[in-house]
Amino acid sequence: MEEIKLEFTKLVKRVDVDKTGDFIRYDESKCDGCGLCTKVCSFNLWSLKEGKARLAPRYQELCLECAACWEICPMEAIDFSYPAGGTGVVIEHG
Amino acid sequence: MEKWDVVVVGAGPGGSYAAKTAAELGLKTIFFERGRRPGDKNSSGCGLGQRWWRDFPEIMEALQGLPSVRKVEMVVINLVDENNRLRYRCGTTGSDLCANRWPHGMDGISIYRRDLDPFLADLAVKAGAELRTSTLVSDVIMENGQVKGVRTEKGEPFYAEVVIAADGAMSTMARKSGMRNRWGGGCTLVPQLDFSADPEKMDDVIGNAEWVWFGALYGAYQVNFRDGFHIGAGQWLREDWDERPTDMVKKVLQFPAFQAMCRAIEAKPREYQAHLLPWLKKPPKTYTGGMMLVGDAAGFPCPLEAEGIWHALTSGKIAAETAAWAISKGDASEKALAEYERRWKASPLGKEHEFGPEFVDLWNSTIFDPKLMARQIQLLLEFSMLHPFSVVFDWGDAHIDCFNQHLEHLLDLAPQFADFGRTYLAPLARGIWPKNVKRILLSVKPRIPILGKLPDNTFLRLMAKLSKSLAPYLDPSINQEAPVPREVFERSRAGRKR
Repeated sequence: MEEIKLEFTKLVKRVDVDKTGDFIRYDESKCDGCGLCTKVCSFNLWSLKEGKARLAPRYQELCLECAACWEICPMEAIDFSYPAGGTGVVIEHG
Repeated sequence: MEKWDVVVVGAGPGGSYAAKTAAELGLKTIFFERGRRPGDKNSSGCGLGQRWWRDFPEIMEALQGLPSVRKVEMVVINLVDENNRLRYRCGTTGSDLCANRWPHGMDGISIYRRDLDPFLADLAVKAGAELRTSTLVSDVIMENGQVKGVRTEKGEPFYAEVVIAADGAMSTMARKSGMRNRWGGGCTLVPQLDFSADPEKMDDVIGNAEWVWFGALYGAYQVNFRDGFHIGAGQWLREDWDERPTDMVKKVLQFPAFQAMCRAIEAKPREYQAHLLPWLKKPPKTYTGGMMLVGDAAGFPCPLEAEGIWHALTSGKIAAETAAWAISKGDASEKALAEYERRWKASPLGKEHEFGPEFVDLWNSTIFDPKLMARQIQLLLEFSMLHPFSVVFDWGDAHIDCFNQHLEHLLDLAPQFADFGRTYLAPLARGIWPKNVKRILLSVKPRIPILGKLPDNTFLRLMAKLSKSLAPYLDPSINQEAPVPREVFERSRAGRKR
């Protein structure tokens, strides 16, 4: 049985990715290294290094704007706003 | 400085319907959308159910002609075991009762948000509300602890008598006004994978139906549109989260029956989305001084199946009407806006949430617990073999012997499921209307020796005395057509202890 092949990151449309601004702010001093943010992100934008979470430097190009990392962080170390109006993900078949 | 009567943050269904209602009531209204157009940022299950025909019939009528619409006349459930094998497929279109309840019976529609959201926003604009797109509202303006307006990301202020926050699950307005921070366990994350498909082949293979895949280890809903569908799989965002969202939807793609369906309708993966969806036992506080929350921002989605669009429209309408009432009194203080909560609680929206915790507890402990789910699927499969059609299908022996063998097997398994029934299914009994409990008791009464001869009222009084579980339903002061209030059960249980 042939498997359905998928490249999830190619299945997202975006506009003006260079104009989104910085919409995830992360306070490393609050992070306790639990790693939950690394598990809920669809596109692996969070990683753990030396007991602290790290956000991919060019997250704006891949972030789905779901805000799961903000919701799950028990230390409230992640502050999520949204990309600038009219930029970022465009959902065509939501 | 220009001042507005009502500022609405968000042009999803809740925001647009609030703006439409406010404008129709003669209020000077503006509403904001962060996308280039409404719908740009939204994804959901997108099913509009039967009660839309009762509450928003003109909208339902108008939506029928939009490109992505597929009618929903049936739901099809697919049960898949732990080896990914399709074991049982059943469906329903409802009974005669459903056919007669609303003008369109069980029929609903599925519609992509790129069709629905702009349509609803347009209704608000036609009613006289001003829409600003590509505008992110990033802060509230507070004075003396009360919301007095909002500020856009560029710093532009918009002052208003009343702010209606329809800015979704992450509600910046709720956070910035200090109403709450994150949901802390009550919110789900829903990854969705959309597929394109051949519309005519979908008509032939899928029909006008929603599909659900219940796997022993994972499951997903399948919402079918005119030229495609999406599958979605949600889970509560909690500390035991252990799976990448993309992997959750990928698992359904491994079901051979799902792959066969994809081949038959020429389905191709088209878009991936993920969104937060509050799925709460009950909504938290929905108002503060100068501001009301509607839709997902308020945590209104249905506690049984997390539908939220009807809830968004209903709460948007009530919030706008409350805003008009508050403005006419010249008082939008927190005390005055408590009226919003009184009104939504008295509406069909409030009724929806009277029986919330029992439903959420059931899901929490079963569908989203793989071990319990595997057992539940096993139980459903055993039950399915007692179904008359299944008995016909089993010609392994004389049919009546096959039936008895299946019954015996089910009885063997019963002790394993007793705990499950007591813990997860029994609490749902609170939802049975007292008048139906009475009818069940009175229908068995004639078959009970001696007691069967008692007058109905004497019999029911005796039952209430004999059984503390039945007593709450038989209390004569209780509403006959609503779940028995939780306190009445608690009082009855406390009585038993004494």
